[in-house]
Amino acid sequence: MGDDIRDLFFDPNHPTLLGGCARAASAEEARYRVQYPNSRARTSRIFALDAAAAEVMYGVTESPWNGAHFLTLSTTATIDPEATPAEALPLAHPDGAAADLGRELDGADVVVLLATRGDSEGAAEVIAREAFHRKIMCAGLALAQDQQDHAVDRVVNSMRRFASVLVVARDNDFVPAMLTALRA
Amino acid sequence: MLRKEVNDLLTQTDPGTPMGDMFRQYWIPALLARELPEDDCPPVRVKLLGERLLAFRDSHGRYGLIDEFCAHRGVSLWFGRNEEGGLRCPYHGWKYDVEGNCTEVPSEPAESGFCEKIKLTAYPLIRIGDVLWTHMGDKDNRPPRPEWEFATVPAEQTYTSKRWQECNWLQAMEGGIDSSHVSWLHSGSLKSDPLFKGARGNQYNQNDKKPVFEVVEADGGLFIGARRMAENDQYYWRITPWVMPSFTMVPPRGDHPVHGHFWIPIDDENCWAWSFDYHPTRALSTEERQAMIDGYGVHNQYVPGTFRPRQNKDNDYLMDRDAQKRGETYSGVWGIAMQDASLQESMGPIVDRTKENLVSTDNGIIMARHRLRKAAVALRDKGTPPPGRDIAHQMVRSAARVLPQDQPFKDAMKDDLTVRPGVKQTSV
Ligand code: FES
Ligand SMILES: [Fe+2]
Repeated sequence: MGDDIRDLFFDPNHPTLLGGCARAASAEEARYRVQYPNSRARTSRIFALDAAAAEVMYGVTESPWNGAHFLTLSTTATIDPEATPAEALPLAHPDGAAADLGRELDGADVVVLLATRGDSEGAAEVIAREAFHRKIMCAGLALAQDQQDHAVDRVVNSMRRFASVLVVARDNDFVPAMLTALRA
Repeated sequence: MLRKEVNDLLTQTDPGTPMGDMFRQYWIPALLARELPEDDCPPVRVKLLGERLLAFRDSHGRYGLIDEFCAHRGVSLWFGRNEEGGLRCPYHGWKYDVEGNCTEVPSEPAESGFCEKIKLTAYPLIRIGDVLWTHMGDKDNRPPRPEWEFATVPAEQTYTSKRWQECNWLQAMEGGIDSSHVSWLHSGSLKSDPLFKGARGNQYNQNDKKPVFEVVEADGGLFIGARRMAENDQYYWRITPWVMPSFTMVPPRGDHPVHGHFWIPIDDENCWAWSFDYHPTRALSTEERQAMIDGYGVHNQYVPGTFRPRQNKDNDYLMDRDAQKRGETYSGVWGIAMQDASLQESMGPIVDRTKENLVSTDNGIIMARHRLRKAAVALRDKGTPPPGRDIAHQMVRSAARVLPQDQPFKDAMKDDLTVRPGVKQTSV
């Protein structure tokens, strides 16, 4: 293309497709969009990293999700990521049954970490490490409802190194909104 | 994915709809000031939020935005005579002032006072910067006059354009907060566009194609941060503010002017894409201004005499497959504005969001929809005024900066993200 865009616009030989876009972009044509599904069910794994995050998560686990698993840490002890291999991370399903991190992540499409506090960095690292090995996207959601700014910064910092996208949400109702949007 | 009823809620802005009521809470850009260049100039048809209106400037320099149609027998007042302090319908001579009051009904005796019974809907039209703004909501609930920085800096520091976009406002606006498309769709333009090229920050963009996103809520909307690796293990941050309902700013590059947008519904299937470029502390150079007029950067070229882009769906946006193959443009469409618009229009007039498959990097969009929906519902159910009306919410800037890894951008860049008169933008 020449430096001057007018060369392009005034080029009489410029190929166009005779206005196919005009018809294709019309409301009438929108009706003919293929109606079959364009995706299969996802495998989402949502981890609450602390007790308050787990409370928020339990509030939505009852909804009909498309195969999402909701997991909590079944310990309040600090996790040392160096000393904790994946299989040693104590995880539980909402009904209390133990869960195994490796098995949960096999074939998963996305990992979502929920946190309200900044002291679960160790657990976040263990989960994110496993996700990273499997090339699974890891999203961090810092729940800031009723929290001071500096507390939220700690939450964000605890996940920043691991999350490929990080959201600071002021209200807990973003959790179901995000999971719905992601077809969890 | 968005359920159909939520998609309808967010995309419909006619009178009486929740989102329409929400847009009517704000001062919104209605026309460029240059569309009404002098007293008694020709009136201009304006359709906003599904209402057909007519803008004019009377003999005394007053601006008005009134119902397009004469109350007598429904003629478009676009044919009217703009003279002697009002707009006269050419059919039977009824005359209206800028507030929509009927001031003369020639067939009736003046003493009868008949004309006092006639009143067209009218909205205020005020000039701030290059833009005429209107508030289409309740006059007893008028927000403070807008103070966006691009509109309040001296005239020589700013340039604004608008273009007609043939799709719903929301899918257009979502493009403005969808930071992850820039490395793809606009990759060719970063190197060549006179209003983008040459900034050091561009190299970070090229070197690290997988930015990491952080979405942080703000009082007026959101800050969407995209970070890439810079030297010495630092992060190169680009922060896009979004202020409700539809203001966005693009993070700056070098000392180039800063740009941003408003997305304003015309009706549910059309919107105005407003684009501005300004520098907080210096005049735009002659070359910069000419580049904007010529359609570079976020601006575009027009079908002469209209606000319709010269590249539009009737000419397939002048799709150039050879340029696409050569890598000069990523999509084959020339220019940043039309690269966006062509794709957004291709989604159809109102995209069916039940079919989307969003991924975690779409969280800026997910959060924006969430905020819009909550605000529209709170307004509808409780009368809560939505965010973005306060002047403080409008005092935002985009910014780009290199930071150590452990510093949250929201704190470290707090000043950079705030309008500081006389201080230039923070940019790399
Ligand atoms: S890749 Fe995003 S719309 Fe197709
Ligand atoms: Fe874009």
